[in-house]
Amino acid sequence: MRLARPSILAVVVILLLPVLLPNALLTISIFIGLSTIVVSGLSLLMGFAGQVSLGQAAFYAIGAYTAGLLARDAGLPPVLGLLAAPVVTAAIAYVVGLPLLRLRGHYLAFGTLAFQLITLSLIGEFKDITGGDTGLTAIPPLGIGPLIVEGPFKPIVFGYLAWGLALLTLLFNQHLVQSRPGRALRALATSEAAALAAGVPVGRYKLQVFSLSAAYAGLAGGVYAFYVSYIAPGSFPLVRSIEFLIMATVGGLGSVWGSAVGATVVFLVVQVLQNLGTLPGMPVRAPAVFAYAVYGLILVSIMLLLPHGIVPALRARIARRGT
Amino acid sequence: MRLFLQYAVSGIATGCAFALVATGFVAIYRVTRVVNFAQGVFAVVAGMLAATLLGSGVPHVIAEALAVSTAALVGLIVGFVAIGRPGTSPLASLIITLGLGIGSYAVLILIWGDQPISFEGLKGNLDVGGVTLQVQYILVVVLTAVAFVALSLFFNRTYLGRGLTACSSNPRAARLVGINVTRMGLVAFTLGGGLGGLAGVLLTPMQPVAFNSDVGIAISGFAAAIFGGLLRPGAAFIGGLVLGVAEALVAGYGQASLQSGVALVIMLGIMVWQASRRTATSDEDAA
Repeated sequence: MRLARPSILAVVVILLLPVLLPNALLTISIFIGLSTIVVSGLSLLMGFAGQVSLGQAAFYAIGAYTAGLLARDAGLPPVLGLLAAPVVTAAIAYVVGLPLLRLRGHYLAFGTLAFQLITLSLIGEFKDITGGDTGLTAIPPLGIGPLIVEGPFKPIVFGYLAWGLALLTLLFNQHLVQSRPGRALRALATSEAAALAAGVPVGRYKLQVFSLSAAYAGLAGGVYAFYVSYIAPGSFPLVRSIEFLIMATVGGLGSVWGSAVGATVVFLVVQVLQNLGTLPGMPVRAPAVFAYAVYGLILVSIMLLLPHGIVPALRARIARRGT
Repeated sequence: MRLFLQYAVSGIATGCAFALVATGFVAIYRVTRVVNFAQGVFAVVAGMLAATLLGSGVPHVIAEALAVSTAALVGLIVGFVAIGRPGTSPLASLIITLGLGIGSYAVLILIWGDQPISFEGLKGNLDVGGVTLQVQYILVVVLTAVAFVALSLFFNRTYLGRGLTACSSNPRAARLVGINVTRMGLVAFTLGGGLGGLAGVLLTPMQPVAFNSDVGIAISGFAAAIFGGLLRPGAAFIGGLVLGVAEALVAGYGQASLQSGVALVIMLGIMVWQASRRTATSDEDAA
């Protein structure tokens, strides 16, 4: 059973970690879980549909704002806001994707980049609704009825929420990849013309994967909004999109469980360097310099040395040793 | 009317800089089929270096020439990493140039900090029929025109230039007649770096550059470049002018905050329109 072993291990880890980790590390693990959700969608889009998106942070932002605005201003129960986040994000991605997904390769990369910049400036422009550049403050806490997630248990609950959702998305991806649409997606990544000739509805599938990846990003964004309870356009810079791309390439494009590995490795490396950079005696700009240098080094060296990512490369090495 | 001409002139000046960046995209894409995401970095490097050199007493012209040469060298390095390893697919090269672009932020912040930098260009104004022209604008237009004439002579009259054209029209045939396609790709990257550097040197006196200005510059250049489907320098030149004037008019008559959106919207519009006229098959043949 290929599916059972990693998922059982994952369930055990997810059940134990939030209780065992000290609070600072728990917060980091929550962000890694959220990144995993976003990256798993991007990895699907890049590895299986062969499309690059440089605008994934825009969907993250749309999910966060949807959840935040519905819960704060529309008076909806926060849980409904959270559920609406992926739905609204997917719907927007579907509409935007109709024209955008006619583009391929570098055109789509620039197109999604433009989408992200336009989204951010729209959020900044509509001050009355979004709070503009100062952001959306005082997002109500997540909760069902009288049960409100606040106080000392908040990180533990969000730890379970983030990693539980991450596990669900990964299991769903695993299922999708092995299904008929999954094979069709792999075909269209290799050659759209051949897939089309074999009867794969190329346009529809691409649009659906794009929307699915956006839904994941929206879901993670919704959780993020309730966890930090303050969001602004500055929380979702272009660099965040590139960070998701780096995590996806590190984990291996199209590698389902690689998304979690990629998100964890990149997040931890950057975090450690950030901590080093803020040590006393370090120059003021050291954290930024470290982060950018690491992003650049990882992207370039992975693409040159391990173009299929860490997890597939490890798997290949283990398989070779086994025979 | 006078106001309109005023906006148009300043738009043409920035448009010329966009056109140079766009030509850099085209020069690299034609030969290597790589879209170089780090194209804006060349302009930033040259602009900042020129400012530093001028600040430490190096005279004009020499400072700018040094800055442009450095940008060309940076272009060569980017090209070496992006296409030096055989078998790197164009999409992998795109991600590599993206990585080099973001990695360059670290170096730029280390050397120049994170604040925008500028330097004084040519001072003074000319009055032509009631329209005030800044001398710097005229310099930009003249230098861009010179660069384009030189470029067209280079591509059509020199051995190296014809080799580049050969690689762009049919790489396999070019290799068969003994042209080193990878080396030509590196030449194209160097040329793209120099063109980006020239754009940066001309642009910096008009609008200060910061370490992350490369995204905006690259988007404007790419938007101009796709006027000619990334392949025709002439169309990219016209694209740059159209974009520059459109941005200046929007900023002048509308809202300055909308200015940066113009390039994005024009870019998306053209790309989607062009894509709707292509089929999947023709796209894959081209790749």
